[in-house]
Amino acid sequence: MAIRAVDTRAGGLRERRESQAVGLGLVRRLDWPLLGALIAVVAYGLWAIDGITRHDPGGSALSRQALYAFAGSLLFLAALFVDPDRYRQLRRPIYFGTLGVMIFVLAAGAATRGSRRWIDVGFFTFQPSEFGKVVFVLALAAFIAERSRSITDPRAPLAAIGYGLAPIMLVFVQPDIGTALVYTAALAAVLFIAGVRWSHLAVLAALTVFVALAVLWLLPASGVNVLKPYQAARLTGFTHPNNDPRGATYNLTQSITAVGAGGLRGRGVLGATQTRLNYLPEHATDFAFASLSEQHGFFGASLLLLLYLLIVWRALKIVAGARDLYCAVVAGAIAFMFLFQVFVNSAMTMGIAPITGIPLPFVSVGGSSMITNFLALGILQSIHMRRGVRRRA
Amino acid sequence: MASTADRGGRFLPNDPRTAEPYRLTPQLAFRVAMLGLLFLAIFAVLFLRLWALQVLSGDRYLTAANDNRVRTLRLEAPRGPVLDRNGKVLVRNVAGTRVELWPADLPKTWAARKRELRALSQITGATVKEMLAQLKANGSDPLTPVVVQRGLKRDQVFYLYEHAAQFPGVQTQDSFLRSYPYQSLAAQVLGYVGQISPEEYKSLRPKGYLPTDALGQSGVESTYDTYLRGKDGRAQLTVDSRGRPKGAARTETRPTPGQALKLTIDIDLQRAAERALKFGIATAHAAGETAANGGAIVALDPKDGAVLAMASNPTYQPSIFVGRKVTKKLAPLLNPEVAQKDNHPGFNRAISVTYPPGSVFKPVTALAAMETGLMHPDDVIPCTPSYIAYKQPFLNWTPLIDTGMNLATALAQSCDTYFYELGNRFYKLPANRGHQLQAWANRFGLGELTGLDVGPEVKGLIPTPEWRRNAYKGKQYTEVDRTWKPGYSIQMAIGQGQVLVTPLQMARFYAMIANGGKLVTPHIGSDVELTGTTGQQGRILRRFGAQSPQPTGVDPLALTAVQRGLEEATHSPYGTGFGVFGHFPVDIAGKTGSAEKLIKFPGYPNAVNKTQSWWCGYGPYNAPSIVVCAVIENGGHGGVSAAPAALKVFEQYFGKDGQITTHASD
Repeated sequence: MAIRAVDTRAGGLRERRESQAVGLGLVRRLDWPLLGALIAVVAYGLWAIDGITRHDPGGSALSRQALYAFAGSLLFLAALFVDPDRYRQLRRPIYFGTLGVMIFVLAAGAATRGSRRWIDVGFFTFQPSEFGKVVFVLALAAFIAERSRSITDPRAPLAAIGYGLAPIMLVFVQPDIGTALVYTAALAAVLFIAGVRWSHLAVLAALTVFVALAVLWLLPASGVNVLKPYQAARLTGFTHPNNDPRGATYNLTQSITAVGAGGLRGRGVLGATQTRLNYLPEHATDFAFASLSEQHGFFGASLLLLLYLLIVWRALKIVAGARDLYCAVVAGAIAFMFLFQVFVNSAMTMGIAPITGIPLPFVSVGGSSMITNFLALGILQSIHMRRGVRRRA
Repeated sequence: MASTADRGGRFLPNDPRTAEPYRLTPQLAFRVAMLGLLFLAIFAVLFLRLWALQVLSGDRYLTAANDNRVRTLRLEAPRGPVLDRNGKVLVRNVAGTRVELWPADLPKTWAARKRELRALSQITGATVKEMLAQLKANGSDPLTPVVVQRGLKRDQVFYLYEHAAQFPGVQTQDSFLRSYPYQSLAAQVLGYVGQISPEEYKSLRPKGYLPTDALGQSGVESTYDTYLRGKDGRAQLTVDSRGRPKGAARTETRPTPGQALKLTIDIDLQRAAERALKFGIATAHAAGETAANGGAIVALDPKDGAVLAMASNPTYQPSIFVGRKVTKKLAPLLNPEVAQKDNHPGFNRAISVTYPPGSVFKPVTALAAMETGLMHPDDVIPCTPSYIAYKQPFLNWTPLIDTGMNLATALAQSCDTYFYELGNRFYKLPANRGHQLQAWANRFGLGELTGLDVGPEVKGLIPTPEWRRNAYKGKQYTEVDRTWKPGYSIQMAIGQGQVLVTPLQMARFYAMIANGGKLVTPHIGSDVELTGTTGQQGRILRRFGAQSPQPTGVDPLALTAVQRGLEEATHSPYGTGFGVFGHFPVDIAGKTGSAEKLIKFPGYPNAVNKTQSWWCGYGPYNAPSIVVCAVIENGGHGGVSAAPAALKVFEQYFGKDGQITTHASD
């Protein structure tokens, strides 16, 4: 009875909101804390990256990064005005289109006999696999939401995994293990939020552990190398960082040193010698967190982590208040994927996660990552704006 | 509940309008909550790790970060110059450049490292093998550079500067190189400077030496290394991850230059002595002694033992030890085969090689005989073509003399039979009188180290019956070999048999005759001075000076008799040195020597008996200020080559016309 009473009231609200759901009225329904956190983290990231890259040969990356942020915010705004339902309807073109672009990149890379992850589109090189993260979540969520009624049937998660594995494999053979891991995380989040049974999830988890063991240990032991040796060394190197401080784990040693040297207050832009004198490689991208920690110390790094925490907390709230299962799955996967990137990137610089080339959201220099993250948060906002609004059939 | 919905979905088309409105199911809420907890756990892990690294172990990592970037450079201290007694610079420094490898900054992969070293080798000439060996020896310490080359040429330095990007871990530093304005003069005395060896480093480490240090390796460079070396300074340099310097080095301590070392050597006299050796050898060749191939000349101040000149022939250019080492140039010194072929130019023959003294030993016999009461200087002893003892003839050097002689005449004409008789008298001394000849020889410093401050010195040998018994105790010898026979004493009286002395020992003995019976301690180092700017008198920091001469207790009358004999030898028309010194304006007294020595020449099966040419003496006779002892190897009779060579030294010292130009005692 109580439920129905709640229902009635909700129904009334829904009618009212539906009338406002056109035009700028929606904007007032933005999740303001999330928007504030986004602006704060972007500003902080820009400020930090200026210090991190100031002594690099190419000079500060601030202007470039600001341009990316500007492009990203345009995409963010655009995403606000797209009803998430549009993505669901367009799931097949989106999915196969992205897949096609990935295959194209891979083929082009094979033609130039090297690892190619990007397409040159003039003012910046566009990395489809990065952009694909969000697209992948949108499509996968749609495929599984289609089967939401039969979600307890093992065929539903299997179909979703089938759709998911294709892009994961394409990214893996690029080779870009880090992004492949992000995709896998997103797939897991999709299955989890969509309501796949616990027993099925357990079987999948066990299978994942087995595959990981096989790739890293069983198969190499029997002479089949799925990963190139340097990749395996990077993935497992963090478990024994002092093994070979000048060789395979050089980056890791320097990164931990940089983080630790930052201390409580940081060494400042000039004093951060690990970054300034280039002992810390890739400090503008993969190891941006270490660099930031060295320059701004525990306080600076904590501030960044708190902003991330604010973002994922708001994202979870959006999951809870989503209009339908599709939106909930999309929001949940975006939130998890976002956190996964934050965790793997920062944890790897501190020696508690494998070294993979995953950018730190809104901080690492890179247009594709910046724009993709803006888009992801734009979609979150879009979902939030349309909470309680029934989709128009 | 869910199952009915499922069933409905199977049979009916999916119509959104009839679909149940979406609602946050408890299951989803639970899962979102779980996600939330997972997120919190993840952030907790991140914060904890961040705290552990930055706050708990921050200091440790800060140290590691600083070690990464700071390189401590050694600012080489210029080594002190070496001066002659008149302040002329014998060894100085010229600016050079050294190449260092910093192991920490070299390429990490073996292939890249080897490629870089190979490229470096093509520029500097240091072989890859050497560099790798040095790196390996340095092994444990990535922040101590390895010096692979000193004395780079300008174009090599510029090339390395311009291509610095291709040579991570390679640095060039200012350095100093030894330079020898007088080239090969006094090469063996001066010695050379080389890289400290691992063994030397082990023993010198407590004195603050570093494995990269240079060290004086022989001669005065070695003896006075602690004064000459100075103290290196230190500077700190910040480098980036590829070892490229960022900004200028910051000097922490300035290098303290080494002190100047003044020697007792007179470089003009040294030059004269070295030329005299060449002249003596040439003279010997002209006289048919074609095997003459080396020698030594020592000039001492008889009053305090200051070495005025110490020449050794053959010699070498000390500059071959400077900068890039050329194996071929160093072979005569370091390769035993080549050294033998070139007659060992590295030896300082004045102190490191022994010769049988021959007749220059006769004053020892005379003094010992007088002290022992075996002879009075006025006694007349027959000088005959041969001396028969124990049914064995001992020949005089010339068969043309058959007359009685006193000591002075016997010394002047170097009569062998006179001294054979004395030797026999020594042999016949009762056992309780000891071995008087040997005892006095030792007392006069023969067969003993002279205590010269520059090595390496050898003792030589004054054989005794006890020595013989000990030396021939091996099974391959018989009792006959071990027995001291009368012939040994008779031979020893004329400086033959197994007597072996260095030219410096002999010079010291003649200094004793000249100064009235006191044994001096020869020395080369005079004092160390603070190097002033040029033209300034250096401030003397420490005098090594002469040790006071030790009286030998020899009877002044006996000494006078010997002095008279030596003067007669150069001034009596029959004297062995008259032809050479008889008309020299300064009164020189001295003795020739012609010692037989079995020489094995390379390439010949049997050793041959060759005469070692000696002359020892001093002047002016009444107030001696210089003693000269000369040896020409295989140079024939003493009067043939050694005496003319010695005269050249006196000519330089006193001037050709007897005007004293340089003086030892000023």
